Amino acid sequence: MKKDQFLPYAIRKCGLLKLLFIIKFTLLFLVISVGQVFASDTYSQIKKSSLDLKKTSIEEVLTKIEDNTQTNAQQITVKGNITDANSGEPLVGVNIVVEGTEIGAISDLSGQYSIQVPDQNSVLVFSYIGYLSTKVSVSGRSEIDITLLLDVEGLDEVVVVGYGTKSKATLTGSVAVVKGDDLIRSQSINVSNSIAGKLSGVISVTRSGEPGSDGSVLRVRGENTLNNNDALIVVDGVPGRSLDRIDPNSIETISVLKDASAAIYGSQAANGVILITTKRGKTGKPQIIVNANQGFSQPTRTPNLLNAADYATSINEVEEYAKRTPRYSDDDIQKFKDGSDPWGHPNTDWFSSTYKSWSKQSMFNMNLSGGSETFRYFVSMGTKYQDAYYKNSATNYNQYDFRSNLDADINKYISVGFDVSGRMEDRNYPTRSSGDILWMLVRGKPTEPAYWPDGKAGPDIEFGNNPVVISTSQTGYNRNKGYSLNSNFKLNIKVPWIKGLTMAGNAAIDKNFNFSKTFIKPWYLYQWDKLTYDVNNIPVLTKAKRGVDQASLNESMADNQNLLLYGLISYEKTIAENHHLSVMAGSESRVAKGDYFSAYRGYFESTVLEQLDAGGITGITNGGNAYNQPRLHYFGRLNYNFKDKYLAEFVWRVDGSYIFPEDNRFGFFPGVSLGWRMSEEKFWKDKISFIQGFKLRASYGQTGNDRIEEWRYLTSYAFGDRNSSFITNINQENKILYENGIPNPNVTWEVANQGDIGFDALLLKNKLSITFDYFDYRRSNILWNRNLSVPLTTGLVLPPENIGKVANRGFDFEVSYKDNAGDFKYEVSVTGGLAKNKILFWDEVPGRPDYQTSTGHPMPTDPNYPDNNLFYQVTGVYKDSAQVANSFHWAGARPGDLIFKDVNKDSIIDGNDRVRSYKNDLPTLQGGLSFRFQYKQFDLSILFHGSAGAERHISVLGGDFGNYLQSDFDDRWTTANPGASKPRTSNRNTEYWRSFDNTYFLYKTDFIRLKNLEFGYSLNPAICSKMGLQGFRAYVSGTNLLTFSPLKDFDPEDNAGSMNGGSGMNYIVPKIVNFGLSVTF
Amino acid sequence: MKKILYFLSIALTLVGATSCDKEFLNVQPLDRFADQAVWNDPILIQDYINNIYVGIGHGFAGSLQFALSDECMWPGYEKHCKSNIGPTDISGFGGNFDPSCQNAYKNIRACNQFFEKIETSANIDKATKDKMRGEVFFMRAYVYSKLVSFYGGVPIIKNVYGLNDDFLAPRNSFEECINRIVSDCDSAASLVNPSDKGRPTKGAALALKSRILLYAASDLYNSNGSWAGDFAHPELISYIGGDRTVRWQKAKDAAKDVIDLGIYSLYKGEPVLGENIAKNYGDIFTLKETTEDIFVRFISPDLGSWWGQNNPGLLSQPNGWHCWGAGNPYNSLVDNYEMADGTKFSWTNPVQAADPYENREPRFYASILYDGAVWKPRPLDLIARDSIGIVQASGVEKWDAKTSKIITIWGMDTRRGGVEDWNGGYTSYYIRKGMDPKFDAQFFRQDAPWRYIRYTEVLLNYAEACIGLVKEDEAKIYINKIRKRAGLPDITETGQDLVDRYRNERRLELVFEEHRFFDVRRWMIASQTYQNAEGLRIIHKLNADKITTTPAFTKINVQTRTWNDRFYFLPIGLDEMNKNSNLIQNPLY
Repeated sequence: MKKDQFLPYAIRKCGLLKLLFIIKFTLLFLVISVGQVFASDTYSQIKKSSLDLKKTSIEEVLTKIEDNTQTNAQQITVKGNITDANSGEPLVGVNIVVEGTEIGAISDLSGQYSIQVPDQNSVLVFSYIGYLSTKVSVSGRSEIDITLLLDVEGLDEVVVVGYGTKSKATLTGSVAVVKGDDLIRSQSINVSNSIAGKLSGVISVTRSGEPGSDGSVLRVRGENTLNNNDALIVVDGVPGRSLDRIDPNSIETISVLKDASAAIYGSQAANGVILITTKRGKTGKPQIIVNANQGFSQPTRTPNLLNAADYATSINEVEEYAKRTPRYSDDDIQKFKDGSDPWGHPNTDWFSSTYKSWSKQSMFNMNLSGGSETFRYFVSMGTKYQDAYYKNSATNYNQYDFRSNLDADINKYISVGFDVSGRMEDRNYPTRSSGDILWMLVRGKPTEPAYWPDGKAGPDIEFGNNPVVISTSQTGYNRNKGYSLNSNFKLNIKVPWIKGLTMAGNAAIDKNFNFSKTFIKPWYLYQWDKLTYDVNNIPVLTKAKRGVDQASLNESMADNQNLLLYGLISYEKTIAENHHLSVMAGSESRVAKGDYFSAYRGYFESTVLEQLDAGGITGITNGGNAYNQPRLHYFGRLNYNFKDKYLAEFVWRVDGSYIFPEDNRFGFFPGVSLGWRMSEEKFWKDKISFIQGFKLRASYGQTGNDRIEEWRYLTSYAFGDRNSSFITNINQENKILYENGIPNPNVTWEVANQGDIGFDALLLKNKLSITFDYFDYRRSNILWNRNLSVPLTTGLVLPPENIGKVANRGFDFEVSYKDNAGDFKYEVSVTGGLAKNKILFWDEVPGRPDYQTSTGHPMPTDPNYPDNNLFYQVTGVYKDSAQVANSFHWAGARPGDLIFKDVNKDSIIDGNDRVRSYKNDLPTLQGGLSFRFQYKQFDLSILFHGSAGAERHISVLGGDFGNYLQSDFDDRWTTANPGASKPRTSNRNTEYWRSFDNTYFLYKTDFIRLKNLEFGYSLNPAICSKMGLQGFRAYVSGTNLLTFSPLKDFDPEDNAGSMNGGSGMNYIVPKIVNFGLSVTF
Repeated sequence: MKKILYFLSIALTLVGATSCDKEFLNVQPLDRFADQAVWNDPILIQDYINNIYVGIGHGFAGSLQFALSDECMWPGYEKHCKSNIGPTDISGFGGNFDPSCQNAYKNIRACNQFFEKIETSANIDKATKDKMRGEVFFMRAYVYSKLVSFYGGVPIIKNVYGLNDDFLAPRNSFEECINRIVSDCDSAASLVNPSDKGRPTKGAALALKSRILLYAASDLYNSNGSWAGDFAHPELISYIGGDRTVRWQKAKDAAKDVIDLGIYSLYKGEPVLGENIAKNYGDIFTLKETTEDIFVRFISPDLGSWWGQNNPGLLSQPNGWHCWGAGNPYNSLVDNYEMADGTKFSWTNPVQAADPYENREPRFYASILYDGAVWKPRPLDLIARDSIGIVQASGVEKWDAKTSKIITIWGMDTRRGGVEDWNGGYTSYYIRKGMDPKFDAQFFRQDAPWRYIRYTEVLLNYAEACIGLVKEDEAKIYINKIRKRAGLPDITETGQDLVDRYRNERRLELVFEEHRFFDVRRWMIASQTYQNAEGLRIIHKLNADKITTTPAFTKINVQTRTWNDRFYFLPIGLDEMNKNSNLIQNPLY
């Protein structure tokens, strides 16, 4: 009775969250304990109980269930033949299970099976990959032949949507789905890299391949806002979990809500929602699957740089243009060429000195799944390892993860789910970043040694940066350990008294810890003055400390927590047979909290003890901060369908976010979608029967985006960066406090208005399926600052105001064809999408000529720096001084320089001659073409990924401080080659055509690449079963094996944007070859 | 029935557990203060004022401003020194040197906001408020003084703008701006009462006033804009009419006010025989404190967000010490240092030309690193090649017995010496002034403060005002004080010769202290100083004995420069012009 008193109290007094949290958990445990009472002694209720629950008490229900579970044990053997419904070919390896038991069998080479069933009313379930599962009641028969239908997507598939699932047949929203099995084929350690080309309407770009930070940028239908364009990632109903790091073997499906159906996620759904559902146990005998693969990676593309002789020639040209004496004699150049003097005249290929030919990566996963009717489990463990390209690499990534998804039916009405997953992400890096290392590799002069001929490390390029050394642990280390623990506790209650009414609750606690430790110590390089030799005439090298003088240590610790609670009620009812109605409503609270601190000490007297306590006394620093981000949500869904023909759905959400001021805190986000399964109409069946399925869909909705800077509604002041601190009284450091911009008391949501119209079609006996969607999105209320139009004299840092408007239109599609010819099965599918955005309104610098304005055109690469998309127009290379003299030219232009066009014809080349490029660095068109073949035990899958519409400005600066690209060297202008297509040799960015961004260095990054290729062999099931296995497959696969792109020196997906300062360089995207095994026990 | 209630309770709780409470979303930020918290707390207000200091920048921030005048060259300012900066690319004005008025006006806003908010601050006594007011008056005056020096008359902003205000402020006349700065300096002088050494004092306020009044009395600002063609608004760039003598007098009085405070003196201004005068002068810029500091910015070696920030050593010392060698002194600057006896140096004097770095005045040795100068021990990897640390800014010829040829070995501090040689200097000279040899600059930042205003400048200001008032004898007293400290004999010139001598004295004494850029403009001698930059190529030629060498000096052009009168003032960015229809562009742009 104590419990009963407690509950209403909790309802009355739902005040403090902390209390609620306790209540929630008490409640859940309570229900379990009650549930156990219900469930005692009631295992395996195989027979369906047919009770009129409205009239019975719980005690009676229990008694009846007990009665029904009395079984009469008559063992029967059922035999039969399993064939393909279309071809009549026997199907080998079909799984047959007696429903509700763990009794199973597999069909043999001739498609025959034999199984013992416990009673004559048993139901057999036939399942086979790629075919529709079929259930057959034994009904006393002893011989049952069965034909299986090819599973063409869209027949009985269930699609995960927000807070529930829907049948694909009656789905009205635009949802792209990829199954876990398809993802695994990419063998990527990072799941975000497996998505490319597989989901229609999802644009994926891998900016960096660095182990541990190689996530792809994912954009659902391109970009819609000037602010954060990240899709909302929801794993098993919980937002904020990692998509990248989840074990691909534990993913059941990924669904992407692309249109108004995302409105159920309200304020964070404007950029689409990516829902990941992990695998759960299925009733049946325990199955152990072991997956192991070993991969080898190397960069897809490295820039082609000059050899020492050509570099020396280039430098001599620089000197010549500067009217200085040549630096290298012909003799020097000859020695660089012939390698006769490795000490004095080396010819270094920095990339091959630093990179090994192949780097290892591996993945191992083992999972166990199965269950009884009342208890199901999926348990998985995995490890992942990734090495970097460097020889003696300090960089690597290790991951250890586990997952346990448990489902238990306490009784007929109450079921619980308990999921725990944990992961350790162990990242190791050198103390200089991958960007620094790549920058040094590009810069490294071929005329300087990476290693001296005696094997000692050569001198640095600068700051102690010799890439062969700074890529190793000789400089110390940067370790980052991330731990995450995710838990979900779910409760589902079917209310016995009202048919169709269910209630569900979910509590999820995610903890993430991160510990980072960077220990930087001095390292040693060797100099030779090119003059001093020892008695044996061997050059004398000087060892020198480089980089830092004394070691330093920085440690930081972050503790983040995400608590999510939701409860929902749903009700389903069919009225007068044809009216199917379902309603769902719920509420959710989410609190993200975190604390961070860091500590630093320098001036280590020794490098033996790598702990803070061992550091020096002076310059000790530390720092810390915290955050608290609550959000509150109410949501619901209403589905109505008439005869499964006319479909309608309404979703809504009311969201409250702490980001906004109290008066504007709650937003309402509705979405409506309609569907018409025209193929179910009589006229269609009569006249257009060659199209077996056709569904027209349309949706419209509003979602929001609250992912902007916090606290913009408050007048507030924050402490400034300590590095720019003011110092008084000689050594006294002072705090600095700055006005955090002026407040905008009216700040509110961005609103996404999303319209979508599309269809799903099935043709050619369900072999061909087509899905097509056209969308028209308008984002309004985009928070944007008016700083560009407000004079600097105001001194204002303006807050974001809800002024921006962006339109984004496009289409996406998926076509797939599946068939077989005898033993040869094949499937071809094409996915693709085009998304083009256009700024309808934002803040722009006034008074610019039309060709420089951005309103009415696609968003710039970085909206915060719109002028980065302005480029001088290059029309060629000046042949001779006469041509220079006869043109309006840049002051100081000379032959061999790039010709800048006088766009506005004012006879002056200046900033007004820059023209806006309407492309940015995100592709507008992306697609995938995939083939799957299976012949007997062999399978082959191929995926091409194509991308177009993006461009990048890449200007690799060579000169006396670093190497040149071969492509800049070939056919460059010289006095001997005045008709050249490329400009003369230049030194760093001293020439106007190097320092001012222009179209010459603007590259299209379109590409088509062989994203994945996998060839596998599965052992014959008959042989497998002799070996005591259920399955055995070996495969070899490749990622990014071939790339076709106009960009030759860099990977087209890379981030190698600004090669002129090192910043922005990244780790080159890998090409991977994998060998793997998958064994099922 | 009981059970129905039971299930209903569960249902309601599931839904209810997550709702109901408005307070749930009312969280306060954990990383910033609300308005009231700041303006009623004197300590936080002081922190707010501290941020204004950060905004005004300083000469060790990495801007190499002196490479924009005829003190140094730096390839990054090639375009500027050709007077090619225009309204469409003012943003290219590079680095930490930010005359773009963005930071300036942020600071002005911060000052104005302070004045507004401090009125209503509770719990703060008047003395504290006044002290703070004085500090902020000074900062505002300082920011405007820089703006006016770069742009001429600028908008004087009195509002603390809100979101929906009218933002279009017109430029005020040059005279109004000067008056404003002077009045802020006066207010500051009457209120400041600092307890910390890095904060403005009464002396600092008066010295800033002295500087701006001297500028205001100079040729450029009394030209009525005659150089600017038919510029319709000369009042923006000059006084119009009025009595220039009064301006000189004001400048003189302002400098005198500082002198009369009696609290500053030239550092080691009365050297005795045998004293190391060069060291004395050099110490002014590397010591933490001297008797002539008026307003300084202290620096901590532990702070800085990028390599070059607060790191003049790394920025400008030679590449042979693993530094960047940025900002290479001009040949003409070096030539202008007198001989130790006060006579002029000349390349036509064969003795001087053979050994140009011998017997020069002490400030030369403290300001310039030249070929053969003893600097400090080389870093460990290079110490084998040079254990003493002598600047190698030249090539040395050697006899190679093997090949019977003369080979040239380039010094480690050249652009051909094999040590980070892309960072080598162009002129064969590097900056020494302000460089603290105690610190290994490749690893550590030095800790000497940046000196915004030192007493010597005030004395020079006074002397210049005296010359303006044709009180030449009085001027010479003050110039000669400075020369005495530098170990140089008195000057005796009169008329234009005195003016030239004074200007050279100011150029050398205040070199690399961010004065020359403004001085050549206000004196309207920029057309003579924006000439092609010359450096030296030095090769130690092998003598007939094949062992000894003799240096050969060749003048080389290291940077093309041209002057265009429009460069007296910076252009206002085209975007700013477009944003604000009330703005008037500077002449000739």
